[in-house]
Amino acid sequence: MASAEFSSLYAENSRAIFYLALRFLGDPQKAEDATHDVFLKAFRKLDQFRGEASLRTWLYRIAINHCQNLRQGWHDRHVFSNADDAVWENAMAGTDSPLRVLEIKELGQRIQKTLEGLPDEYRLLLLLVADEELSYEQVGALVGQSPDAVRGKLHRARKTFAALFKKTA
Amino acid sequence: MKQQTKLSEEQQQQQHAAEQQTQKQSAREFANAEEMLRYDAAHTTVPPDIARRLQKSTVDLPGPKTAWWRRLFGGTNQ
Repeated sequence: MASAEFSSLYAENSRAIFYLALRFLGDPQKAEDATHDVFLKAFRKLDQFRGEASLRTWLYRIAINHCQNLRQGWHDRHVFSNADDAVWENAMAGTDSPLRVLEIKELGQRIQKTLEGLPDEYRLLLLLVADEELSYEQVGALVGQSPDAVRGKLHRARKTFAALFKKTA
Repeated sequence: MKQQTKLSEEQQQQQHAAEQQTQKQSAREFANAEEMLRYDAAHTTVPPDIARRLQKSTVDLPGPKTAWWRRLFGGTNQ
């Protein structure tokens, strides 16, 4: 990396950004490319960061715009994700036992299937609220909603997620 | 014989209690969607290739004009 500080920025935030891209795009290879592009954009725009939001929020904003543009492009071109099992396995922690990996892989697939059945708004909301570093205010700023609206929609998003998740069993 | 029956009942009760405890634990494991997503995220590895690619991509780029991290955390710009 160009500097120790950027390296530290990457180390602290890469998992959050990669996970958002992975579950938002539904394709590990595309999530890898997206994460690279998001941090490259961040590197180029560091001077524009005014410190009004947290770095994590700023990175999320870049990532959300990037992923939404990608999805819109696929939608326009009718391109769908076609990730194979090997790619998914590589996206999982390498230290887990085979059984554990299988459990996590299965859970990951069910989560992905469930998220894909949700409206984009709910999917993004759940992924952002799942990040404990973000407050409702910060999530609201990222999705263009008030904190109260976030709480209300979160309740509906949870219910929809739970109902869809049961169907993936 | 009666003692054996009592022992067997106790064992059954213990087993039942253990099963209930397991069920409670798995029910508590994911209280809502976010908890499940957090667990999933914690078990997701960031491909090391991203850092390698970023290193290559940024090596020829000029760094930030100002020491932005100093702006954030205080101190003077260099």
